[in-house]
Amino acid sequence: MSAGYQAVLWNRQKKRYDLTILAGILLYIGLFVGLGAALRPEATPETLIIRAFGTLALLMLHVILSVGPLARLDRRFLPLLYNRRHLGVSMFLCALVHGAFSMIQFHALGDVNPLVSLLAGNPQYASISAFPFQTLGFVALGILFLMAATSHDFWLANLSAPVWKALHMLVYVAYLLLVLHVALGILQTERNLVLIGLLVGGFGWIVTLHLVAGFREKPGDAPHRGDVIDGYLHACAVADIKDKRARIVCISGERVAIFRNGDTISAVSNACQHQNGPLGEGRIVDGCITCPWHGYQYEPETGASPPPFTEKIPTFNVRVVSGEVYVDPEPNPAGQRAEPAPIRGSS
Amino acid sequence: MSHNDDEFYVGYLPEAPAGIAAHVKRSILLILLLAAGVAGALAALQSPFDPGAFEFGIDRTFEGVLLEHPYPLLVVDDGEYPGSHLLVAFGKFGAESLTAGHDGKRVRITGSRIWNDQEQMIEVHELEPLGDARQSLAGGMELGTFSFTGEIVDSKCHLGVMKPGRGKPHKACAILCIRGGVPPVLRVESESGELSYLFLVDEQGNAVNDRVLEMIAEPVEIHGEVERRGDVLTLRADPASYKLL
Repeated sequence: MSAGYQAVLWNRQKKRYDLTILAGILLYIGLFVGLGAALRPEATPETLIIRAFGTLALLMLHVILSVGPLARLDRRFLPLLYNRRHLGVSMFLCALVHGAFSMIQFHALGDVNPLVSLLAGNPQYASISAFPFQTLGFVALGILFLMAATSHDFWLANLSAPVWKALHMLVYVAYLLLVLHVALGILQTERNLVLIGLLVGGFGWIVTLHLVAGFREKPGDAPHRGDVIDGYLHACAVADIKDKRARIVCISGERVAIFRNGDTISAVSNACQHQNGPLGEGRIVDGCITCPWHGYQYEPETGASPPPFTEKIPTFNVRVVSGEVYVDPEPNPAGQRAEPAPIRGSS
Repeated sequence: MSHNDDEFYVGYLPEAPAGIAAHVKRSILLILLLAAGVAGALAALQSPFDPGAFEFGIDRTFEGVLLEHPYPLLVVDDGEYPGSHLLVAFGKFGAESLTAGHDGKRVRITGSRIWNDQEQMIEVHELEPLGDARQSLAGGMELGTFSFTGEIVDSKCHLGVMKPGRGKPHKACAILCIRGGVPPVLRVESESGELSYLFLVDEQGNAVNDRVLEMIAEPVEIHGEVERRGDVLTLRADPASYKLL
């Protein structure tokens, strides 16, 4: 949370996460280069390095893009989401090794600047089969660089959440560019059906996973309809909400998380200020609503993070009448106290 | 998927709940197995590379008669590596600027070997003139007119500097090399997989580098006269007559 900025707020889980990433990278590179050198002794080390790091980066990108929808479908994947930015930065570094070696190997030591060679060496931009695929990889690497460079809460706060989010959604553009980079590049020479199947299969997996997760999510955006008492909209029954948990209801186009905290009910915006995590899927831990994505916390009655943290989210006024929860559709300003509604003694 | 819905993961707490931790361990194991499988499959599925090698960082000395045209060539008459050696410069450049003025002369060259099972090349690092050749070299031998289908590649990368030194991934590099003066060669693969290499010259026997740039790394058909000069086969044809397939 944002009491101050450090390069990395290390904790035990992050260290284990990063060690696992490192082990995975070493395993992949070791296997690819070792097996490649054994099976193809005539291959140059540069070729094996370029191919090992390029394919590893693409594989890691598949994992990165899978984690989000998997966590939407099964909450037990959330630990993989917790430190995903380290996986993203690691993937960028692998892609950078691939790009740098390729740039030196194929474009350096010639009669023009390597960048000119990369972008204009093969000028057949009007052709599909002859398209200069390197440009696609170069643009994708640029996007991944921007994402890796801003993959910190400092940039999230200073760019503003919408700009930061839009920037990081470019990962899907980068992914598409990289699929084309492979399809129009190496697969034009290595026309192996298994390789084509792996690329198409990976693309199909990512698309399917996102569609399934999206369809699962869609009913949550349906506007809630219920009785209205004194301008308060009926949301749900108290009995529908487990203690320390929430029910998410779409009111006035916004998802509202209605939490039960012992004998009281409170409602806040469902979107965490950090990365728009679904607070209503979180829990109340130590008296605070806790985001399931990165553990950001907010007091249920004020929507403010406990001191010294400074995040704030909008609250909603609530009432409980005869065991039913009613919510004022008008949100309060972020951080403004809304009196929790007692469950018992309500009329 | 049945699991304990009461468990809740908070990343900065020291331990994850037992059920979630077990699921994450299983997932990571699966991802690592997948990564190992993909690494193994991709490494194994790489097509065989053309033969060839480059003695990068190893300098050797060669003596022989230098021919400047159409592409610089050193004919070595004795020593460990006799025969015709094409000459190129460091990086993606031909050796014309290094060999200019030494046509028909005896020279000593220090450089790194590049070779495959049919051709030899030297990346020239130093050239020392030794005087006039004791005898002139025999001219080329005409072998007839033929049509070939193949791919235009730069001879330096293809002989052994890069694997692969052909195909689309290598196209931009081949363009740089050939534009820089490295001799262009037609790589012809027979149905049985046997490779042969024909160095491209125009009808007058001159270098064609700047006239083949748009056809590099593309399937191309060339009809022309084949000539053997030393150990090197040349294909004499007007580049305007090359057919892109």
